[in-house]
Amino acid sequence: MEIDNSKEWHWFKGGILVSLLSVATYFIFAAIADRNYPFGITAGFGYIAALFGNLIGGLSENPVIKRFSEKPDAFIEFFLIIGLIIGGYTASKSSKTFTPENIPAVWEKYHGKSLPKRYIFVLSGSVLLGYGAALGSGCTTGNILQGWAHLSLGSIVAGISFFAAGIITAKILYPKVGGSNDNS
Amino acid sequence: MTIVNIIFGLSVGFLFGFILTRTGITKYPRVMGMLLLKDFKILKFMLTAVISSMILFHLLGDFGLLKVVPKNLDWGKLVGGLIFGTGMGILGYCPGTMAARIGEGKKEAIFAVFGMALGIFIYALTIKPVKETFLSSEINGDIFVLLGVNRWLVIIPAALLFSTIIYFVNKKVSDNKKIF
Repeated sequence: MEIDNSKEWHWFKGGILVSLLSVATYFIFAAIADRNYPFGITAGFGYIAALFGNLIGGLSENPVIKRFSEKPDAFIEFFLIIGLIIGGYTASKSSKTFTPENIPAVWEKYHGKSLPKRYIFVLSGSVLLGYGAALGSGCTTGNILQGWAHLSLGSIVAGISFFAAGIITAKILYPKVGGSNDNS
Repeated sequence: MTIVNIIFGLSVGFLFGFILTRTGITKYPRVMGMLLLKDFKILKFMLTAVISSMILFHLLGDFGLLKVVPKNLDWGKLVGGLIFGTGMGILGYCPGTMAARIGEGKKEAIFAVFGMALGIFIYALTIKPVKETFLSSEINGDIFVLLGVNRWLVIIPAALLFSTIIYFVNKKVSDNKKIF
């Protein structure tokens, strides 16, 4: 499975730009949302979960639902998610790498074309992602890109746990990938 | 103020999504390749951002321009981290890249957004026992206070360690290696 990466930016350029964005965001967040943390993603999904909770009703006193419906940072991060979608669209269109697909080609090659099968994995994976990010107070962005930079003890433990569990899961899903050196 | 919040959220998201997609961080084979320890572009990208932010944040902190507030350590970080990592392995991308992938036309990611919100919703429903079990005690997350040393005595070795990792994986593995 070839990856067309001839048009990709260098990792160094991407990394530096993200860090500059983090610093700039910190100052604006501090000014408008009274919080001293650069951007994360999880609270934005928490906002969607809270909308859901308020729709069902009877959960208005739940501390998690309450936090995500009342704090301004969750509202901002909800729009951050919308911005991410537009950013991904603009970047892929402008670099002519916009390639619509139902499921990842690599998945198809190793696990078949079945949509229901992949969607069971997508649903279970994303539910675990949401639960884990809420419990670990942050995702890859909040706990690694920001938390490791702050050298927060909590984020260092969370980030190492992401990799430990991710590496084991990937090995179970793709046991035969990369076993030899002749695939370069 | 609401309008300001909306514009701010959209702008940061737009820039972050643009960088992620343009650098190739959103690609399923790259994420799985990293977890299989065969493709290190995402790791190099993340560690570059971490080194740069680490130095900038603490430098600006020293000038009194901002205050770094570390996340405390509790059992939720370990258990939540392991649950998150399992989900990332099964799904093949993380929450931020998930959103950018929708913009790239990857249809299943729309489904994943609802799954992710559902996961947080389930967390809200289980908050009482979870709080008693995992979040009842915590350790101060400020590593400099814990170690009782000048912060740069940790930052400089950490930056050197991350740079060394970047140097070695960059030398050893090409970003264009075919692994799947």
